[in-house]
Amino acid sequence: MKKILILTVVLFISVLVNAQITKAELTATGLTCSMCSKATYKQLVTIASVEKVEPDLNNTAFLLYFKNGSAVNLEDVKKKVEDAGFSVGELVVVFNFKNQQAANNGTFTLDNNTYTFMDTKAGTLNGEVKVKILDKGFIVDKEFKQLSKNSKQYPTYASNNKNSFHIKVL
Amino acid sequence: MNKLLLLASLFIYSNTFSQELFVFTEPASNMPAKSLGFRDMNGFMFEKDGKLNYHNMPEIMWGINKKWMVHAQGFVSNRQDGGFETEGGSLYAKYRFFSEDAKQSHFRMAIFARVSKNRADIHQDEIETMGHNSGYEAGFIATKLLHKVAISSTLSYERAHDNKPGYIFPATQSNSAMNYTFSLGKLMLPKVYTSYNQTNVNLMFELIGQRLNGNQKSFLDMGPSIQFIVNSQARFDIGYRQQLYSTMERTAPNGFILKFEYLFFNMFK
Repeated sequence: MKKILILTVVLFISVLVNAQITKAELTATGLTCSMCSKATYKQLVTIASVEKVEPDLNNTAFLLYFKNGSAVNLEDVKKKVEDAGFSVGELVVVFNFKNQQAANNGTFTLDNNTYTFMDTKAGTLNGEVKVKILDKGFIVDKEFKQLSKNSKQYPTYASNNKNSFHIKVL
Repeated sequence: MNKLLLLASLFIYSNTFSQELFVFTEPASNMPAKSLGFRDMNGFMFEKDGKLNYHNMPEIMWGINKKWMVHAQGFVSNRQDGGFETEGGSLYAKYRFFSEDAKQSHFRMAIFARVSKNRADIHQDEIETMGHNSGYEAGFIATKLLHKVAISSTLSYERAHDNKPGYIFPATQSNSAMNYTFSLGKLMLPKVYTSYNQTNVNLMFELIGQRLNGNQKSFLDMGPSIQFIVNSQARFDIGYRQQLYSTMERTAPNGFILKFEYLFFNMFK
């Protein structure tokens, strides 16, 4: 029994350290001008886990670098963009995976957030992998509505839980 | 009027960029949450007898969250004999209730209200709670940003009260009005962004109209302006307001507007 317990703990820990978010490519929507972009930039740099932000003014995009080993909450990223007065049009997150099994409806937990694979080829993920966040508020509304209609096979997608993210490996 | 159409079509067809931080009106968008803005509006309006009226309206603005923002504004002018005088102040609130964002475009709708106190004399038919009348204004704003062109329109109801303690609102005048505005803006420079330090140049063209509910008297003004945005956080506007027509008594409708604005990001936790 003790062995099973230890094994479970070890397994649990190994699940936790299977993945880490290192970077994110954010495209903000609803803005054009540099004043709006700067307002967004100034919000993004206040996120505790963010090391630095590189703005791309012409594409209203931002490259976020996260601090090594820090807990990243993507919900914070969304909130900061909305506080600036705009929306997230696309968020592509770079995960550093270690033998992470990927399969549709498969999940893993990282820093109290659950990530569920959607529309992804089954396999083992290693190293830096780009994934797109598919949840409401992380893609344009039109795309979300369409996805909701066509994603009945992913029962958690409609839940709209703030700690549950749905990702597609790019 | 032909000149007006020409000017409007120039704005629409010229192959450049735009913005929506209008000089004579407010857009439906809010300033960033938790930021503070300081604005100083200077009006140099010409009276018919050639006298220059100077109005100074310092303003502090606070973005509470993504939906709400509030302004507090003071009104100073040299209109009264005896030099500069603080004539009153106002509180303004705006609530953004609709927002649809897409790549480099948005459509927003907001409601707003202003409550003003003013103790200056009541000297014209026009109702203006920004610097002239005690009273209130409440209305609706819709703003569309399409790539680099911004179009905005406002519809509001404005009601004047007595300018206490010295001046009763004249019973012979209409004490309420409907206001309507139409604004067009374009970002002219830079053509390609390289950093936040580039100075942005916007050109605006606005129409400002009022119709008094009591006697159907009305006016329509145009307000062309040029705007410089420095370091992506300071604003400098030069505007000119010109009456196009008026059937009501107005003492000094035409003149220049100089506006300065500075934004402090993340002032509150």
